[in-house]
Amino acid sequence: MRHSRLFRQLLATTLPVALLVASGSQTALAEPMIGWGMNSYGLPGGIDTPTAEMLPDGTLGATVGYSDYSRRNTLVFQALPRLTAALRYSRIDNYQIDERDYLWDRSFDIRFQALDEDPDGWRPAVAVGLQDFMGTGVYSAEYLVASKTITPTLRVSAGVGWGRLGGEFRPPSDVGQGGKPNYKDWFTGPASPFASITWQATDKLRLVAEYSEDPYALEESATGEEAPDSKINLGLNYRIGDNYELGAYTIGGKKFGAQFTVALNAHQSPFPSGLEKAPAPVRPRPAPSADPEGWSGVWANDPTAHPALQTSLGDALAKEGQVLESMAISANRAEVRINNTRYLQQAEAIGRSARLMTRALPPSVETFVITSVEEGVPTSSVTLRRSDVERLENTEVSQIANAAALTDADPRPGNLVMTPGLYPRFQWGLRPYLTTSIFDADDPFRYEVGARLSGSYELVPGLVLSGAVQQRAFGTIKQEGPADLTPEEYLAQGTDMNDFGVPRVRSDTRMYSNSDGPVVPELTLAWYAKPTDTVYTRVTAGLLERAYGGVSAEALWKPVNSPLALGAEINRVRKRDFEDAFSFRDYEVTTGHVSAYYEFGGGFTGQLDIGRYLAGDDGATVTLTREFANGWRVGAYATKTNMSEESFEEGSFDKGITISIPFSWATGQPSRQEAGSTLRSLSRDGGSRLEVNGRLYDTVRDSHSGKLYQGWGKFWR
Amino acid sequence: MTGTMMKGALAIALLGLAACGNQSADESASPLGVAAQVARDALAERRAASQPQAPARTPEQMAAEALRVNPAPLILAGLEAAGRTQVMAMTGQNGAMRTYMTPNEQALILRNGMLLGTRGLGNDMSVTEPATEALIRNQRSGTAQRVIRYYAGDGLERPMTFNCTVGAGPNPGVMVENCEGLGLSFQNSFMVQGGQIPVSRQWAGPGLGYITIQTLRP
Repeated sequence: MRHSRLFRQLLATTLPVALLVASGSQTALAEPMIGWGMNSYGLPGGIDTPTAEMLPDGTLGATVGYSDYSRRNTLVFQALPRLTAALRYSRIDNYQIDERDYLWDRSFDIRFQALDEDPDGWRPAVAVGLQDFMGTGVYSAEYLVASKTITPTLRVSAGVGWGRLGGEFRPPSDVGQGGKPNYKDWFTGPASPFASITWQATDKLRLVAEYSEDPYALEESATGEEAPDSKINLGLNYRIGDNYELGAYTIGGKKFGAQFTVALNAHQSPFPSGLEKAPAPVRPRPAPSADPEGWSGVWANDPTAHPALQTSLGDALAKEGQVLESMAISANRAEVRINNTRYLQQAEAIGRSARLMTRALPPSVETFVITSVEEGVPTSSVTLRRSDVERLENTEVSQIANAAALTDADPRPGNLVMTPGLYPRFQWGLRPYLTTSIFDADDPFRYEVGARLSGSYELVPGLVLSGAVQQRAFGTIKQEGPADLTPEEYLAQGTDMNDFGVPRVRSDTRMYSNSDGPVVPELTLAWYAKPTDTVYTRVTAGLLERAYGGVSAEALWKPVNSPLALGAEINRVRKRDFEDAFSFRDYEVTTGHVSAYYEFGGGFTGQLDIGRYLAGDDGATVTLTREFANGWRVGAYATKTNMSEESFEEGSFDKGITISIPFSWATGQPSRQEAGSTLRSLSRDGGSRLEVNGRLYDTVRDSHSGKLYQGWGKFWR
Repeated sequence: MTGTMMKGALAIALLGLAACGNQSADESASPLGVAAQVARDALAERRAASQPQAPARTPEQMAAEALRVNPAPLILAGLEAAGRTQVMAMTGQNGAMRTYMTPNEQALILRNGMLLGTRGLGNDMSVTEPATEALIRNQRSGTAQRVIRYYAGDGLERPMTFNCTVGAGPNPGVMVENCEGLGLSFQNSFMVQGGQIPVSRQWAGPGLGYITIQTLRP
């Protein structure tokens, strides 16, 4: 029973081999049609028209494009083998919309390949797609398209489109209330055909010709830019290495554009196995006749044995980045409690610990229990028989998985001995930081570089005082008020409310970007505990984040083998002063959520949060995330609250994308660090949550069934 | 102008202090720290490349020295793709499986000369199940499968199955194994003496390519 999820996981590892090993060669497996040339919307396609092509599964790409009509910056993700999703941020100049004379606009696309191409027969690949399907709808279009490979270098696509692709001018909806799906417009209005033909001239060069009915009516009417001379567009794409692509095209013959694409694939790492050193191999036990005393277990009666073993094993584990927090040992059983500071995969940390145990412990110890500890709290225990570790070294990884038992960790076993000298533990670091801000309407890329001094003082396991001070050195992020006010004007208003009486909980975030003095981003005392086998708690007090201070309390129910977790969090916080680290502004609120988390399998997780947000609005957030075994995470979320659409300002509900890529994937060096970012469609006040460090779900999951088994392939690494 | 230069100098200073403190390097990685590390490595490589090379030691010289100073079982292993040959010493034995490591802790795992796994090379083979092993050791011709499991870029252990044909090679005492599958093909060569494999050239996967292995001290 307990293996059922594991078996599914391991089974999944045996399926798409052919795809990974020889991505160039086609096999008989049903696979979606793959294309690499990006169209001007940053998806596989012609120039302005789509094709039925997909990107290889797990591809994350970014295209920066510039044409006589607009700039289009697109982030694309192949969320499923047959589902492509894109977020676009585009600029149309001379478009008078508010006080600015240009429009920066966000748009979302999805494309689904419904039918695979039959490589031997006549059937083409068929896809259906929505372009700019919510929001202002500047690029709004829908299509049904079929693509067919005629010869190995020639591919044709033809489809029928609505909206822009149908030659229609759909007036953009009011910017103020965009952000909702425009489903009433979908597949309505005039429809027109479109077609493209692509010729793979060389491995790297692709030439494209297409027929497109897009009238560029919006650009013509709003910006005075001429409509295309003809409905024939021509272009080329040039691939540089595996990850880069250049494109150039003409729309109708008189208008030109160029673009650049970077694409990464979660499945393809420069160092797939990592560059960490080889593990110490298993040391099998000598024959009982060679070490009768060790096998008899009488050593366990020697009071000096335990401290000596704990010291030597602790030293060996420390070289592997594992902190031996505590240990229990008897004649035939040993439990080690380790805090993994090095390996992204907890299975790798457990595998290395098990091998070190075979090298350090007397032969009579047959049962190994390896308990993972996070923030001083035991999160799960893996129990192994030492003879299995000896027997199964250098075998297929599922064998040791089937021999291992994963259980909830006992919060308070009686016989554990703390490793002496670990607590109180003081750690500090001084290092540079880089903050970036993208997708701002006035300046799409801003950054700040400085130095950050951080420290933590762990008094006893689970009780941590931590904080940071940072000093900006240079950058383009500067202090600004909300709604185009200067900082002085905003401060002079003397209120934290906007015109609708909604508290400015996030829209004045830029006020916290001071340019000179030192900043205290956070300073907290946190207490983590585990009252029962399956319940975890956290209480954090202090300066919780740059903009809020107060108290945050959380509880999480998460049995180790359960795909479901339930949590609740409540916070009483006050808004921090923009400059002074230790004073506060007038706004105070109680915010909190009840949350359900579920692992659907295949790397998909969902989260539902219901509760009160920072501005006092009530609502819910739905999050769907795809996680890869190597630590890549790409997710999307949407929040709807009872705040009125007017008060929400731009966009009617909050939505965004989170991306996280582990350093170890890119560098090959072992590390638990990740580079991540949340792309919020807009930074507004409705649906905003407190940002507090150490939320329990992500703290405990690395050693729970879903993620542990997903990364189990690294047990023997 | 001066301002820009100042900023440039400051940026370098910041990268220079990339990591300082008592937090272990494991916990202290930051994007800038990683960038600084990569930059330092690149600089070190360039410096190394521009230095006049000491006369390269031949594999024979390395082997002779290792045999003199190290009493453990030794092999000489060459990574053809990387153009690197190193002496490796046995660091552990579990049944017939032996783990050999270089001084910087990269490892090969062998069973009586048959390559079963690699560790620390960046494109490691997790474990190989060579059903052809008995044919090779007994110097018989025949066909069997070879399954190579490797650590894939997405973090999973993935199997690659090859169909292999074993036969006598052109030189006496040498068995040749030709394998095909997944659009790939490779050829392993084994010198067999009394069931042992003192010299071999074995394919370790698409990322690593061929490894030549020679027993210096069994």
